[in-house]
Amino acid sequence: MRSHQTVIANQIRRLRFENGEMTQDQLAKMAGVTRHTIMALEAGKYFPSLLLAFRIARAFGTPVERVFEYRETDCPPSS
Amino acid sequence: MSDSEKWAWWALGVVLLTIGAYAAFLLFIGHGPATASVFALLALTALPASSRRYFRGRTFDEREREIANKALRAGCGAVWLVFIGLVLAIGFVKGWDATLVLPVWNLAETLWWAAVVVVGVEAVTTLILSRGGAHA
Repeated sequence: MRSHQTVIANQIRRLRFENGEMTQDQLAKMAGVTRHTIMALEAGKYFPSLLLAFRIARAFGTPVERVFEYRETDCPPSS
Repeated sequence: MSDSEKWAWWALGVVLLTIGAYAAFLLFIGHGPATASVFALLALTALPASSRRYFRGRTFDEREREIANKALRAGCGAVWLVFIGLVLAIGFVKGWDATLVLPVWNLAETLWWAAVVVVGVEAVTTLILSRGGAHA
């Protein structure tokens, strides 16, 4: 049986560089989290809450849909 | 390394130190009320700055809070599992109608061991979730 895997992809790293080469620490301070949370977000190891997603989008001055993308992928059936 | 990871490494070290000290006491003075004194070492978990962060007005961010909650649940779950395992083991070995006679210091020691299990499992879980992600 095929299963679906949901992922929230993000463009944080690209947007940081496009916004005056913002550091992870600077973004973390603006979003009210630690640098480690930003690192985990960029590595895809953590999905943000709605509040954090909006705070990060506000830090970049861009809509939240431009920062985060909801993806549903099909996982192949396990043998 | 985040504050949570720093605390976890320190707490793991304190747990291993406590277990090592307990083993040393067992070796040299045998099992008795005096061996419970090693559990005072658990107070060392309060020593690092990461343990006193609340007093400096710093709290967890959402990811650290999620990791901390999962780690605490894992620690408490581990104690519950150990307790069930002990009850089952004693029941099968001594019989379900057997009576246990324990000195009071033994009961107190049991509580300290439960604290060791909670802190140890909490620390290990914190490290695993911090490295591998906290959204699973």
